[in-house]
Amino acid sequence: MTEIYLRLVDLILTPIIMLIAIMLFLRGHDLPGGGFIAGLVFAAAIELSILARGAEATRERYGPWLAPLIGVGLGVAVVAGLIGIYGGGFFRGMWVELYIGASKLKLGTPQLFDLGVMLVVIGMAITYLLRLSEAAEAATRTPTAGEGGQS
Amino acid sequence: MPLLALSLVTLFVAAPVFWLLKPHRSTAFAWLAAFLPAAITLWQALQLPAMANGAVLTERYSWAPRLGLEIALRLDGLAVFFGLVVTGIGAFIAFYTAHYFEHDDRQGFFYLLLYAFMGSMLGLVWSDDLLTLFVFWEGTSITSYLLIAFKSDYKGAVDGARRALIVTTAGGLAMLAGMIVLGLHAGSFNISTIVATPGIATAAVTPVALTLIFLGAFTKSAQFPFQFWLPGAMAAPTPASAYLHSATMVKAGVFLLARLHPAFSELSMWFWTLFLVGGVTMVLGGVSSIRYTDMKALLAYATVAILGTLVMLLAFSEKYAYEAFVVIVAAHALYKAPLFLGAGIIDHAYGTRDLRRLAGLARRAPLVMVTMVLAALSMAGVPPTMGFLAKELMLENFYQLYEHGDLLVGGVGFVAATLAALFMVGAILTLLWEAFFRRQSDEEAAHLHHAPSFWFVAPALLLTLLGAAGALLTGWYENLLFAPAIAAISGATVTVGFQLWHGWTPVFVASLIILALGALVFLARGVFRRLFASVPARVSSLAVYDAIIEQIYRFAFRLTVLIQGSPMAPQLSITLLAGVAVMVYALFFADAETSRLLDSLEVPSVVEWVFFALAIFGALTTVHARSRLSAIIAIGVVGVTVTLFFVVFGAPDLALTQLLIEVLTVILLVLVFFRVRPDPQFGRDNRTPLRVFMAFAMGFFGFAVVMINHLSQVGPSISPYFIENSLPFGKGANVVNVILVDFRGYDTMGEITVLGVAALGGYALLRSPQLHALRQRINAVRRSRIPAPGQKPEQKVVETGHD
Repeated sequence: MTEIYLRLVDLILTPIIMLIAIMLFLRGHDLPGGGFIAGLVFAAAIELSILARGAEATRERYGPWLAPLIGVGLGVAVVAGLIGIYGGGFFRGMWVELYIGASKLKLGTPQLFDLGVMLVVIGMAITYLLRLSEAAEAATRTPTAGEGGQS
Repeated sequence: MPLLALSLVTLFVAAPVFWLLKPHRSTAFAWLAAFLPAAITLWQALQLPAMANGAVLTERYSWAPRLGLEIALRLDGLAVFFGLVVTGIGAFIAFYTAHYFEHDDRQGFFYLLLYAFMGSMLGLVWSDDLLTLFVFWEGTSITSYLLIAFKSDYKGAVDGARRALIVTTAGGLAMLAGMIVLGLHAGSFNISTIVATPGIATAAVTPVALTLIFLGAFTKSAQFPFQFWLPGAMAAPTPASAYLHSATMVKAGVFLLARLHPAFSELSMWFWTLFLVGGVTMVLGGVSSIRYTDMKALLAYATVAILGTLVMLLAFSEKYAYEAFVVIVAAHALYKAPLFLGAGIIDHAYGTRDLRRLAGLARRAPLVMVTMVLAALSMAGVPPTMGFLAKELMLENFYQLYEHGDLLVGGVGFVAATLAALFMVGAILTLLWEAFFRRQSDEEAAHLHHAPSFWFVAPALLLTLLGAAGALLTGWYENLLFAPAIAAISGATVTVGFQLWHGWTPVFVASLIILALGALVFLARGVFRRLFASVPARVSSLAVYDAIIEQIYRFAFRLTVLIQGSPMAPQLSITLLAGVAVMVYALFFADAETSRLLDSLEVPSVVEWVFFALAIFGALTTVHARSRLSAIIAIGVVGVTVTLFFVVFGAPDLALTQLLIEVLTVILLVLVFFRVRPDPQFGRDNRTPLRVFMAFAMGFFGFAVVMINHLSQVGPSISPYFIENSLPFGKGANVVNVILVDFRGYDTMGEITVLGVAALGGYALLRSPQLHALRQRINAVRRSRIPAPGQKPEQKVVETGHD
């Protein structure tokens, strides 16, 4: 059912795309990227896996991590806002600057909030992609299949 | 040290930690779980001497400074009194839970909810701001919902949870409105400020505000006619029933009334509402408790009676009423929790808590028997227990009123309290006799699965002993524990000294008569049970509630069929036509300087012309597509062209987002169309005049509105502000990202919430068998309305309608 070439592509590309997503997230505050984009890229990586392996195998592989992502993401976002209360109001940005040798590393609640955004986006996209792919797979299994598509 | 906030934060942080620990053991974990609430209890107890001297601890944090919102916490006599109940009972419950969920994987999740609830409840009683209180109030409602629905594969649990949630949050919303009215009038949401505002009781808005707040308090504290959700909540695991639905959460409404008591107790509206509602609830709960053979349901109705008693006592501004109030809260927490915990132990050991299937447990579980009998003595008000003291004080209150000439209130109150009390005596005697002492059960006897360990029973036993100590040590601690609480409720400093033995007063005689009549009720329990069974089921507020909910569902169904019963295409036409109408309206009233149109006119570059051509080509291909798949891909071309525009105009973030969304949308659409029937007619007869008109109108007016909007900019643009302040304030060079997560973080918060809810909806829609059934029902209605010969009946019918 699944193409061997696509599986090879999945084997190589999916982890790379995930890494790109993480990179896009980390640099997002200063360079193009950020939680929303990173979340979508990450979802694309999972989608590649769905196309190559099928939805069921993907769910088995990533499911336990993906199931609670929306809730965790919203929770992280709210906590990022709540930390601001310590600094004088909900959503007040709070920053810590660390120096590792000469390079400066800054960590702040907006980035934490961005992490929450990323998790929610991943969770949302994957919920739909997995659910619909599963339904599509169920449809192709019956003899009167829908039109087109490779899966 | 901000110890109040720190305590709350610790509880909320501990909640997920306990979940992640994935506990399923009992012994060591029980101590660990009880540690945190015990520590907070100890800290609060250490504050008591200061509280007795009138000290208060306050902490304030700004929440949204420009809106004047703040999180205010205040530890005074009342807060510490209720706080001790919350964390004190909480420590015992946390210990007990580890044994109740022995070797159960969901133990961790239960602890998550338990701690989250504890944090919310503690925050609620420590709040000194109406809106802070409201947030914690809703926190308790939600955790209560999740705890009731904990056994989610059991329908009764889910139904009971939903009922509890709808009733308490509906009341909560009304209360929020009342709080806002009150807060706006007083000019502050700070509770101590509002209560101290002169003339607040006689203000014109007060009746409205109070009515709304009463709704919140009465729904939360299960007052008549909202009491029905509480017995339904008994589907929760027993530790949750004992903790939330007996000792703490249901007292939140009572607590709020006690908080507001100093300001409004002089109003006759306050007196009569609380007296009547509380009195009816008390009698109803007390009398109904005899009816039930489910131990937890019996105890739940007894709890309803106690909650009614507390509300009724808050109607008065009398010394004995205050004293009775605080003693009942303490006594009830110390006897009702062990009774629930005992019922849970029996349920755990025998697999049932139905009295009809139990008998003779006294020999097989002697420690449970001792615990429950000791607790029951207090509930029945047998001297010399705390329950006895509480009942004496309450009766004394009514007797004094009667003596001083208020025959109606004193007399009615006295009789009602007696009636409720004697049925509760009968009910608890029934429970003890049938479970522990009789030889033969009514129905097939339940078998012992495994005997309860000592540590399982220990928390209940210790609580009962604390209650006994509380009674025997009267005279030692009242001014430390009770006097500050009474001072906060009454608004005046007091000293209290209770005596268990008053001599042969009329009230003492009444107590003895209650016990004697209670024993008669116990002996005649069969008669009462048959009497209750003969009452038709529709004579209950539960039936009324169910009928209302049923009507709402029907209305929603009809509305859905009306609005969304027709097929997709006509629905879309309505949306698009409405959009065109709005845009035409906007253009008529636009105030654009057309001269700027010429100023900003630019000739597009060659590259841009190419992009335009690509987009138009994609759009035309979509229209001409002969299969869905090619249409989807052609739409994708249009989207990618838009991405190219973003690239040219230097918006890499937008370009990236747009590109990704395009790709994922195409994949999603392909997946969706797997599920839809193949459409052989696709691309043939869909260019009706109406659709062509709509497409042109949408395109033309959309373009015009964007153009005019661009031209009629009023005031300075905000963009320079963002660009200038992104690095200094937002500490980020990527302005788009800083706007998203910092400058406009609230917007993003709302957006991701919508995303999350949409995902949940999609998850349910794509799987739920109930929704599948609903869709079939709607389809059936649709078919019955539309005469359906031919291949695509829906489209033809609707289009002739428009043409």
